[in-house]
Amino acid sequence: MKSFTYEKVNSPAAAATAGSTTGSAKFIAGGTNLLDLTKLEIETSAHLIDVNGLGLDKIEPTAEGGLRIGALVRNTALAADERVRRDYGLLSRALLAGASGQLRNKATTAGNLLQRTRCPYFYDTNQPCNKRTPGSGCSAIGGVARSLAVIGASEACIATHPSDMAVAMRALDATVETVGPDARTRAIAIADFHRLPGDTSMDLAQAQAAPGVLAIVTADNAGKSARAVTIRRSCSAGRRLSTITRP
Amino acid sequence: MHEGSSVTTIEGLGTPENLHPMQAAFIKHDGYQCGYCTPGQICSAVAVLDEIKSGVPSHVSGSLTTAPEFSAAELRERMSGNICRRGAYSNIVEAVTEVAGRPA
Repeated sequence: MKSFTYEKVNSPAAAATAGSTTGSAKFIAGGTNLLDLTKLEIETSAHLIDVNGLGLDKIEPTAEGGLRIGALVRNTALAADERVRRDYGLLSRALLAGASGQLRNKATTAGNLLQRTRCPYFYDTNQPCNKRTPGSGCSAIGGVARSLAVIGASEACIATHPSDMAVAMRALDATVETVGPDARTRAIAIADFHRLPGDTSMDLAQAQAAPGVLAIVTADNAGKSARAVTIRRSCSAGRRLSTITRP
Repeated sequence: MHEGSSVTTIEGLGTPENLHPMQAAFIKHDGYQCGYCTPGQICSAVAVLDEIKSGVPSHVSGSLTTAPEFSAAELRERMSGNICRRGAYSNIVEAVTEVAGRPA
């Protein structure tokens, strides 16, 4: 039994401050990935920062004709939003293709983007894994790897990011808005948000602390639904060919 | 994470004297064997019908821009997060279909 401390914060900047000052701290929103990993003691956070209730659960139109999707918008709400269904069909389809209703009801937009890159061997703590313990080796390489990365992997790790939503966001060239402890916001192109592992192990690529995500902003996509359908099909058939690592 | 939240469990859905229609339908259609998964199956089934009614699409919905309609395929997809070790699925589908007001 590992004990941990828990705090609820009242602003995004306070969350970013708590995340940067407390060692081994993790944000918790839906908890759909963090709780699984914690039960297996793969994640052993000493401190949890509850970011629920920060008002980041709105989907708002932008002046440029796009949408600003709050970090805490649940996957079900995003997939069911009338504007998303009409103008961003691939986003709805990508979300609905993943997990189960119960998970989508809890999982958040930011949590979906920031879930751990993983593979079955990462979850099996009896197996060596360079992601869990850098330098211990990779059981996936040469193992049952049919659903793992073919391109964009490293010699240390062939795990893939499991998010279908991230692939749709990348196809839409979305922008991720983050906030730091100084309350300053930054805009990061989704193409730069998830990184390839290069020649390092995934664990090194992921060592950088997760930013406090505020929202994801999409460009105007009205009238482009035909393109969306094409991309959606290629997403579901070939998503395992892509691998992305979160920062 | 749920401090201050209101959570409805199977006990809050109905009572032995005053069953929720979904509970009654599960009994009528024998939608369980050991009963271990039954509270979750019933709570999910009630939520699934609400979600269809409120227009939430699913992976098997043909169109994203028209309201989803109840069907066996929709039900199977939407209930796929609830696993029954004993395989009572066909009777569960019959029970939920009856509550949805459609012929099985």
